[in-house]
Amino acid sequence: MIKLDWSILLGDGGERLIEGAKVTLQLAATSLVLALVLGFLFGVVRWLQIRPLEPICWLYVEFSRNAPPLVQILFWYFSATVVLPGWAIVILRDYGFQFVAASFALGVYHSGFVAEIVRGGLNAIPRGQYEAAQAIGFTIPQTVGSILMPQLLRVIMPMLTSEAVSLVKNTSLALAIGVTEITYQARYIDVYTFRGVEALLVVTAFYLVTCLAIAGCGSLLQRFLQRNRRIAA
Amino acid sequence: MNWELVFTANNIRRLLIGDFPPALGGVALTLTLAALGIVASTIIGFAIGYARFAGSRPVRWLATGYVEFLRNIPLLILIFWAYFAPPYFGYTPSKFGSVLVALVLFNAAYIAEVLRSGLLSVPVGQIEAARAVGMSPTQQVLYVVLPIAAYNVIPALTGRYITLLKNTSLAFLIGLTELTEIGRQINNRLLTAPIEVYATLLLIYFLLNRSLSAGMGLFEDRLRFNRVFCRFAK
Repeated sequence: MIKLDWSILLGDGGERLIEGAKVTLQLAATSLVLALVLGFLFGVVRWLQIRPLEPICWLYVEFSRNAPPLVQILFWYFSATVVLPGWAIVILRDYGFQFVAASFALGVYHSGFVAEIVRGGLNAIPRGQYEAAQAIGFTIPQTVGSILMPQLLRVIMPMLTSEAVSLVKNTSLALAIGVTEITYQARYIDVYTFRGVEALLVVTAFYLVTCLAIAGCGSLLQRFLQRNRRIAA
Repeated sequence: MNWELVFTANNIRRLLIGDFPPALGGVALTLTLAALGIVASTIIGFAIGYARFAGSRPVRWLATGYVEFLRNIPLLILIFWAYFAPPYFGYTPSKFGSVLVALVLFNAAYIAEVLRSGLLSVPVGQIEAARAVGMSPTQQVLYVVLPIAAYNVIPALTGRYITLLKNTSLAFLIGLTELTEIGRQINNRLLTAPIEVYATLLLIYFLLNRSLSAGMGLFEDRLRFNRVFCRFAK
């Protein structure tokens, strides 16, 4: 059994881990927003079954779900420098090019799953609900706002929560292109001090706490969405 | 586009089998990892899932702790634990071994959850019927409960297997020469064709995953056929 020496986490090491935690959370937040936006978009379009768009949406969803997130990160990172014009690269570099590429790739990867969740949730709402809304003269925005959305969110919230948890876990893959998130910092500490076990312990605890916190927030949100639910007798 | 740069005979060979004699790599290594991972994590996952469902109280707590812990940390962290931590304790693991161990432990947690939901879906009438024809508790589990549960969870298991196959790409981060690492090496050598190289990788993984889910679909159809026509192996 080795003796743990926590002193390496004081000073520089600790600052690195805190910086890394910030980057991880930023990365998770950006890609979560992107995943939700793209996912709802593609999910709704697939649900509406718009003929000309259907094959494109199918291809997008299948490709984003079936290719490993790590390969997608590498793909977007390395191909962006070839495809994007020079000025765009200059702008992106100011934001941290790796960060942008990683959040884009993770956003795309998880948007495929979100799209399928949203489509499944929309399919789960009975047809009678729309007919009833139409019968009592609801406009389309009213139908979406007060009939469709509340039911949809109630159905998909648990799955969205577990998707968010898996997104947070996948942010650790961004170290492959050198995003300085917390896993990267743990590797850095290991390489420079040869005392990696302490750093790994801290990082494991960080992920555990973050993921459990997200799962907890998800179930609170779920309870909030269920608050006015009446079961028809 | 320089596709001809990527699809040279040598590159295709490396993508498929790596530098085979001696070092297996590329698609072959990815599939080896995935196959071993699928078999081992299914066995361990079923054991843990069953323990969580039917074990005594301490066993249930242990199984629940295992599942909740492993589902809430990234696989990459687990791989780092399996590869970078043992040297501190005086043991040097192989790359293949650490990736496989991490992959199996990680996915076993998910498969345990999948099996538990399957066990919950077994109709009570089936168990009552098994008891009525005089089966012992062990027989009830082996011949009635587990087969029904396993059949019900095939779609969910397929999803886990696909994730496992995708997860094998993480092995490149500790330098195992599976498909992603070979692709990265080719890209580093060419330098001028990143899109082509990585698009090829995406396509290969896509095809592997689609074939896996198609295969599982066929397997499920076969089982359903046997069920409908009562063609049980004796």
